[in-house]
Amino acid sequence: MADDPWERIRRLPMGRQIELLQADGRRWVGTLVPSHEFSGDRIVQLKLESGYNVGVHVNADDTVTEVGGSDANGGRPTESGAPPAPSRRPPSSDRWVALLTTGGTIASRVDYRTGGVRPVRDESEILAFYPDLEREGPVRVIPVMDRLSEDIHPDDWLALARRVFEAFGAGADGVVIAHGTDTLAFTAAALAFLLENPPGPIVLVGAQRSPDRPSSDGFSNLTNAVRLARHPDLAEVVVVMHAGLSDDRFAIHRGTQVRKMHSSRRDAFQTRNSGPLGELHEGTVRFHRPLRPKGAGPFRIAEGLDPTGGLLWFYPGLEPDRARAFAEGRRGLILAGTGLGHVSAAHLPWVRDAVARGAVIGMTTQTLGGDVDPYVYATGRELQRAGVLYLDDLLPETAYAKLLWALGRSPEPAEVARLLLEDRAGEFERRHPVEGPP
Amino acid sequence: MKAGLEVHQQLATGKLFCDCPAELSDDVTATAVRELRATGGENHLVDAAAAFQAARGLRYRYEAVRTSCLVELDEEPPHALNPDAVDVALTLARLLHARPLDEIEVMRKIVVDGSNTSGFQRTALVAADGYLEVSGRRHAILSICLEEDAARKIGEGSGEVTYRLDRLGIPLIEIATGPDIVTPADGREVAEEIGGLLRSTGRVRRGIGTIREDLNVSADGGTRVEIKGVQELRLIPRYLEIEESRQRALLRVRARLRDQGARAPDRPPVDARSVLHALTGPPGDLVRRGGVALALHLPGFHGCLRSLEGSEERLGRELADYARATGLKGILHSDELPGFGLTDADVASLRSLLGAGPLDAFVIAVAPDAAAADRAIRAVTLRATGALDGVPAETRDPLPDGRTRYSRPLPGRDRMYPETDVPPVPVTADRLARIEAGLPERPEAARERLTLQLGLDAERARTLVRAGEVGRLDRLVAQGHAPALVARLLVQELPEAQSTLPPEGPVIDLDEDVLGATLAAVESGTIAKEGIGPVLQRLLTGTSNVAAAVADAGLGGGDRGDLDRLVAQVVAANGDLIARRGAGAFAGLMGDVMKEARGRWDGKVISDRLRAAIERAGGQAGATA
Repeated sequence: MADDPWERIRRLPMGRQIELLQADGRRWVGTLVPSHEFSGDRIVQLKLESGYNVGVHVNADDTVTEVGGSDANGGRPTESGAPPAPSRRPPSSDRWVALLTTGGTIASRVDYRTGGVRPVRDESEILAFYPDLEREGPVRVIPVMDRLSEDIHPDDWLALARRVFEAFGAGADGVVIAHGTDTLAFTAAALAFLLENPPGPIVLVGAQRSPDRPSSDGFSNLTNAVRLARHPDLAEVVVVMHAGLSDDRFAIHRGTQVRKMHSSRRDAFQTRNSGPLGELHEGTVRFHRPLRPKGAGPFRIAEGLDPTGGLLWFYPGLEPDRARAFAEGRRGLILAGTGLGHVSAAHLPWVRDAVARGAVIGMTTQTLGGDVDPYVYATGRELQRAGVLYLDDLLPETAYAKLLWALGRSPEPAEVARLLLEDRAGEFERRHPVEGPP
Repeated sequence: MKAGLEVHQQLATGKLFCDCPAELSDDVTATAVRELRATGGENHLVDAAAAFQAARGLRYRYEAVRTSCLVELDEEPPHALNPDAVDVALTLARLLHARPLDEIEVMRKIVVDGSNTSGFQRTALVAADGYLEVSGRRHAILSICLEEDAARKIGEGSGEVTYRLDRLGIPLIEIATGPDIVTPADGREVAEEIGGLLRSTGRVRRGIGTIREDLNVSADGGTRVEIKGVQELRLIPRYLEIEESRQRALLRVRARLRDQGARAPDRPPVDARSVLHALTGPPGDLVRRGGVALALHLPGFHGCLRSLEGSEERLGRELADYARATGLKGILHSDELPGFGLTDADVASLRSLLGAGPLDAFVIAVAPDAAAADRAIRAVTLRATGALDGVPAETRDPLPDGRTRYSRPLPGRDRMYPETDVPPVPVTADRLARIEAGLPERPEAARERLTLQLGLDAERARTLVRAGEVGRLDRLVAQGHAPALVARLLVQELPEAQSTLPPEGPVIDLDEDVLGATLAAVESGTIAKEGIGPVLQRLLTGTSNVAAAVADAGLGGGDRGDLDRLVAQVVAANGDLIARRGAGAFAGLMGDVMKEARGRWDGKVISDRLRAAIERAGGQAGATA
């Protein structure tokens, strides 16, 4: 039986040039490139001389011939094909910034195979994408992990905190963390609680558009994050991303007060309960609100993260039994209630039982803006009497990160509750100005 | 000379990758400022054209209009490929005997001139290897692609270019012919034939700017050059001719350079300010105000920068255009000196400064700062080096007189990589069958039907088919309007009225209801045939309906009584003329009457009434006819 041309093609390496002659007279000459994940059955992808890719269905009676030569890059990026990293400054005693990379769009590239983006692997790749990084001083790239941020786990927060601590210990004046935008705010909040008395800026930054695109927001976001990381007055965890849809203004958000509020816009990140901490514009930094003062005590990791804490988003129709089961075995739970911090009265029994057995339950609002308040409505009063802690204007995600940290600090519910309610890193904002968030 | 044509036609479907309407607008609601970097796509091999653009360090200001969305501002991933647009592309493939792909793969084509907010244009090959027969010759159709149109350039300021997003994302069909065009007139014919096929689908946008052509030209021994964005079909032959002669001239320059032992510039530029005190004009002012002036030595280039005998082409102009592309207004070169305030002595000083021999030339770039001067010198060096090889591959802009001007380097295949945000589109047998069943009537069949069945004359029928107006004609005739009148409206009155519009304004496409109402106004006697033009002009500039247009044009409401009164007035006022000339007074008086009467009554009716009135008046005065 004649060799199935499709099987033959599948055995050829990427980058091989072939001629495909079809029974209906069509003739294609091109370089083999990986197929798209969503490509149809028996569809081969060829890159033509013109640069266009074509999808051709390979039939049993087609003829495949190998044509001389291989595409120089195998039709796809080769690992060794990246241009050499731009010449580095020699190590010096200059103030330097550590750039920790965890993956995410800001440090990722297009992958034909899956048809999507994958994180970059090493320092030279980063520098190939961002040749302007060291324009204002040395930057040392420290790869920590390569995850899309939806794959990041609370254990990674702790690992990252340790690397931040090490970087300052090694002499960095500031630390920038390149991170996927999806869960960036969670990580930012967690680091703010884990790292006590930081000596300098810890700046999380991401990109909504991958750096293979000329329009990527990653370039300017990263440049501005690195710039902010040298600021002498800043000593807390912040997030830097576009302030609007133009490339000229960048918002500085306190890490415990920020949330990703749009799936794709450059200015997706917003400080929800007041304006941003500050702004970068045309190379200058301006702060709108008071900064956390540099801590009096030593810089240390306030170790502890208990990942059995949970986050539960209330909605009409949530079965109390299922919620009770969800709470089972957890030492703490953050509720994202409605409005001023409410859940249906049908849930009071399991909440009381959970508190009685020692679980710490915190209330936040799924409106993502404004305070929760137990006093205004009966439901709130009931929940408070049942032992639920009302967490003012904390975002659900921030409260969740704080809960995991607090649970890790102490086995005592009373102590956990105290830590949860105490302002640790400027996360509680008591004043909500009239010009609030959108 | 070999030339191929690329025709780009906007489609009258929604936008290609989002659900916004495909219309131009002046209603700007927001702006955003962006920078674009030269990236290497997937391969990190930064395409020369992209790097060139990015090196200009420009910022881009994008104007969003009421009908813009986040996709166009690169704030949201693209939606799926517009299936209507794909259908139109597959229809063209069928009409051009091209083979569609089994699966359409959308690509990103890096374009860093700011005309796409994402820094790339989304484009896909739909079909390849077709042909077109024109005047008995077969032309290869290399490819049919579907791509998004770019944002509309609104203006350019210092360091900033402004684009409007209304045009971004409008689907374009790109049809590329092989290099089969032998004579310039061929180019026009092929373009018109392709245009006719496109319009026969009834799914294309109409008006100026909705169809554009690029020419790929090379003379024997020359190079492929792309002339991008030719608007006027009738100028195509002129562009081809002039480009051919430009390339020939550059080959003659190359020969002369070789004779003179020319080589690539190999010395760094020199600070020339000390010699340029007397320089006149803005460059002189700039020097005196502390600007930077660099002189570049061009070994062996003497006499090669100005035009050679028998040609208007000058290498000097090409060097200046390369410098201009970096932002500088212009350069000076030694073949045009002494001049501009510089004397022979100044020229000698410059030569001495550069260590230039008698066969050497030089170029001077004056700029506000060192970086700008440096960029210009680099560009000039690049072009001068290219002159030693002959004709560089370039993209050139068409000028209204048929000449062209350097625009940017010709982009290579490195600038294309897969658009992974959009899944591939299968081209199924079912879809192709549906396309087959819905094909528009072939031009020959349409011409025959229009002449034999509808009684139109052959020339008019040909024009109708070429203009893609057969569909509209059929529908209006089906409503009961006379074919000849409909034909006159569609291919005579309407294009004439459109030609009076400013070229950059928004295009109003008149729908068939309005056209039918216009015809009805003629048929009912409200206006005469001559009134169609003024009515259409008003409709095209925003008058909401035919009645209002008629009123605004001062037409209509004229019955025979009014005409007779008008004629009587004119006759009475010109009694002497009639007495002297009799019927011969007609010509002069007709002019007077038409001033008032044009468009309100049929021209023949007016002339008949006037003649009769003159005859009666002449009779009364006793003059002879």
